[in-house]
Amino acid sequence: MAIQRADFPLPDVADPIVAPFFAAAADHELRVTRCAGCARFDWYPHDACPVCGHALEWALVSGRASLFSWAVVQRPFLPAFAAMVPFVTALVALEEDPAVRLCTLVVDDESRPLVADQPMEVAFRPLSFATVPGREVIVPMFRPIGTGRGPQ
Amino acid sequence: MESWGHAVDLDDVRGEVAIVGIGETEYTKASGRTATEIGAEAAERAIADAGLTPSDIDGLMFSGAFAGFGVDDFHRYFDTTHSMWSSPWGGGMAWAATAPHLAASAIARGDARYVLNVFPVAWATERAEMTGGPGEVHAQQSLKQNLEVPFGWFPQPVYFATIMRRHMIDFGTTREQFGAVAVTLRAHANQTPGAVFHHRALTLDEYLAAPMLAEPLCLFDSCPISDGGAAYVVTDAARARDLAQPPAWVLGVGEGYSATGTHWSQQRAFTSTPQVFSAPGAWAMAGITPDDVDVLNCYDPFTVVSLMQIEDMGFCAKGEAGAFAASGALRYDSGQLPYNTHGGLISHAYVLGIAHVIECVRQLRGTAGAQVPDCEIAVYGGYTGHMASTLVLGIDR
Repeated sequence: MAIQRADFPLPDVADPIVAPFFAAAADHELRVTRCAGCARFDWYPHDACPVCGHALEWALVSGRASLFSWAVVQRPFLPAFAAMVPFVTALVALEEDPAVRLCTLVVDDESRPLVADQPMEVAFRPLSFATVPGREVIVPMFRPIGTGRGPQ
Repeated sequence: MESWGHAVDLDDVRGEVAIVGIGETEYTKASGRTATEIGAEAAERAIADAGLTPSDIDGLMFSGAFAGFGVDDFHRYFDTTHSMWSSPWGGGMAWAATAPHLAASAIARGDARYVLNVFPVAWATERAEMTGGPGEVHAQQSLKQNLEVPFGWFPQPVYFATIMRRHMIDFGTTREQFGAVAVTLRAHANQTPGAVFHHRALTLDEYLAAPMLAEPLCLFDSCPISDGGAAYVVTDAARARDLAQPPAWVLGVGEGYSATGTHWSQQRAFTSTPQVFSAPGAWAMAGITPDDVDVLNCYDPFTVVSLMQIEDMGFCAKGEAGAFAASGALRYDSGQLPYNTHGGLISHAYVLGIAHVIECVRQLRGTAGAQVPDCEIAVYGGYTGHMASTLVLGIDR
């Protein structure tokens, strides 16, 4: 039953459903799915807009968001996380449509405590795990606004 | 704005069927047993409790999502060959509440007379083979595997840590209030023979000092991993009255779904459960209000799931369940809302809700460990993330 993919838990950037998300991140762009017909954001990616039936497109967004919720993970639930704990995993709500929440890692948050709904901005960083040597994937992480000089 | 979920319109089955037999195995840490062995033992005990024999059972319900105890296993174990109606839409979790409704339909059609619903779990034994433990089934979903797991938002303790955090943000819920749930349920387990934590007490100070799994969620907010199983027998009203045990009548059933399915991260009402959609239908079918409920047993993998369901089923206003729990209202002897009187998933055993239904029946029969006096209405609230369900059981007085 266990996951067979050798680079798990890195994302499968070849998966056609999510490949555009990670291709955009490699270009330091944040793109999420939006209906090409009614322009309604519709996240996660899937076949077609449930409202108007049009296909979804990968829309460029600003990378600004608010901190919807977070957890400080202390116990490594996967061997891959053992060298990372404690780390902050979060849901951030996009400025363009707060109903769109991204699961992300919070970085550059050492200077002050996290506060609910605080403004955040995207930071494209390499994700790697000690259990998957020699591999990394650029992913959108998020940091409190004010801890950097704008999106990298 | 469209609704974030919907209710299923269920046919009225009030009083048409009853639970007439219950059976449980031991609840343990890793037992070395298979789910099939556990299921067989639970089935045998439920059939005997009803005063029936295996050849009387002509309907079998189980969980299609988990390997367990199917028709072939039944016949092999009991050395029977008769034809049986069967459905994979039974077992535990939310389906432990809706199985009696499907059984009622099968019985009304004449497909079966005595329907057995079985749910065994051997996850404590199987755990070493499971990616992230019970997260295995989630890790297999490609969207979760690519958009959640790489970011550490995995498995269930982490999901519910973020839900817990948002409940604290929106409603001011405190760790002491979550702790009140854990301590109350542990006290119930201490009174319930067979509970995994029957012999281990828990104080609020111990809760507050416990290690964090994913802050703000600590060890005692979370259920253990267990082996064990249970089963119950459903039959029609006329047959129910002729059997060994007082019937636990099925008075109401509800079923509701979240529009975002198992993608909790995207659920619009982040700190709610689909009990919002499920419970009203069950109350209406049963002709009761939440005030009439003597015992409530909800699927409770984490303390926040208890608080959310208590709110969503209408036992208090949204956001007030923390204060409600801290007031002592959930204790079996509170006279208010005796809740998870066997200890729930977090202190009785993580057998995914089937034991909650068994506890409802015990309360109605008057044979529970933490017995509520004169219990006439006992309710199971089932929860499977994308789905919630409500089962109202009652007894003749």
